[in-house]
Amino acid sequence: MKVKVWGARGSVPAPGPEMNRYGGNTSCVELELCGGSTLILDAGTGIRGLGVGFAAKLPTINILLTHLHLDHIQGLMFFAPCFRSESSITIWGPSSPEASLAARIGRYISAPLSPVEVRELPCDVSFLDTPATEWELGGARIRAESVTHRGPTLGYRITDSDGTTLTYISDHEPGLGAPLEEIGQEWISGYDLARSADLLIHDCQYTDEEYPDHVGWGHSRLSDTLTFARRTDARRVMLFHHDPLHTDDFLDTFLDTANGRWRALGGEPGQLTMASERLELEVSAPAPAPAPAGA
Amino acid sequence: MDQRPLELILARNFLTGLSTPAFLVDEGGSIIFYNEAAGDLLAISFEEFGQKPAEEWSGAIGPFGADGKPIPIEELPTTQALRAGRPAHGNFRIRSLKGDEHDIESTALPIVAEGGQEGGMIFFWPTAGRGA
Repeated sequence: MKVKVWGARGSVPAPGPEMNRYGGNTSCVELELCGGSTLILDAGTGIRGLGVGFAAKLPTINILLTHLHLDHIQGLMFFAPCFRSESSITIWGPSSPEASLAARIGRYISAPLSPVEVRELPCDVSFLDTPATEWELGGARIRAESVTHRGPTLGYRITDSDGTTLTYISDHEPGLGAPLEEIGQEWISGYDLARSADLLIHDCQYTDEEYPDHVGWGHSRLSDTLTFARRTDARRVMLFHHDPLHTDDFLDTFLDTANGRWRALGGEPGQLTMASERLELEVSAPAPAPAPAGA
Repeated sequence: MDQRPLELILARNFLTGLSTPAFLVDEGGSIIFYNEAAGDLLAISFEEFGQKPAEEWSGAIGPFGADGKPIPIEELPTTQALRAGRPAHGNFRIRSLKGDEHDIESTALPIVAEGGQEGGMIFFWPTAGRGA
């Protein structure tokens, strides 16, 4: 499975020369599955860059939204395939008792916030609530489950046909009211999604020092992200959803701190990555252990 | 053990922060958590008490009616809330593991998620207590 980050920022786009290396675009990750299919995780402003060369490549596009906060859907209006009649786009997202997914996204893609309405888009677009049980897209098994954030919010576990598993929980506060290092695993939000993932892409918006002013905002501090990753036995971890105030230099230092804490928790060097725009990773499941001689 | 539904996880986190004695039960009525205030009332922490099916916990702590006789499980607010899917309220007496008895006013609220009922929260308001 190939992973490419198109937007790693949280909350609001944060452009500027001091943000160039990690990027200022909001959440969007492209997955290329081993069978050649593509999935898009979230449609923050990062999806604009992805869309530029995308429609010609693939007529059918699946976008998995974690939730409908603006930093996860703002790029939809600027996603080039939406404006091409040959595009077929399916947008998956969390259900809500209040209104359909189409109606809720339509609040953004409508006047006065947008110059066009959903019905005016030339592409063939459909909106689907994520199923309650695992389903299949492009040869991968997809599982969506609610996680601790503000409003209906999903995390995704994507298992490719070769067994590689990626977990994407972009907005998550599993430590809210729950001491992660000691609580039983059945009480940890997102646990089943993240268990033994080959790559866990997870919210890490705040430093431990910043967090007390943001408790309950729906995002993780560094120590909770790392503890969550250790408790779930993630093989690799990508720190994601950077605070818009965190500059490149700040994030460099943040990663150094994270690596130190990770080793103190028993993690191995090289398992942590700081998400940055256009970063590409190849992820694969561990090779099966060789059969014992004589077996 | 598999992860609990998010609604129960959030309820547990909420109850953890309350000073009102409060219990969390699963859809079958088994106690799956209670907070420190409830632990004070029962004179045993949840970590020591552990998860218990309704038949076991009702035998351990009561509840009892004003006449001192055990109240059948079917008549408890918890059971009514889970079966009817609506809040239920009641008065009874419980006995802590130290032998103290407490008159309790209790409200049980079902936790209903998109997929159906996941369990319930039960709050205890002690109205009077007497030592063993």
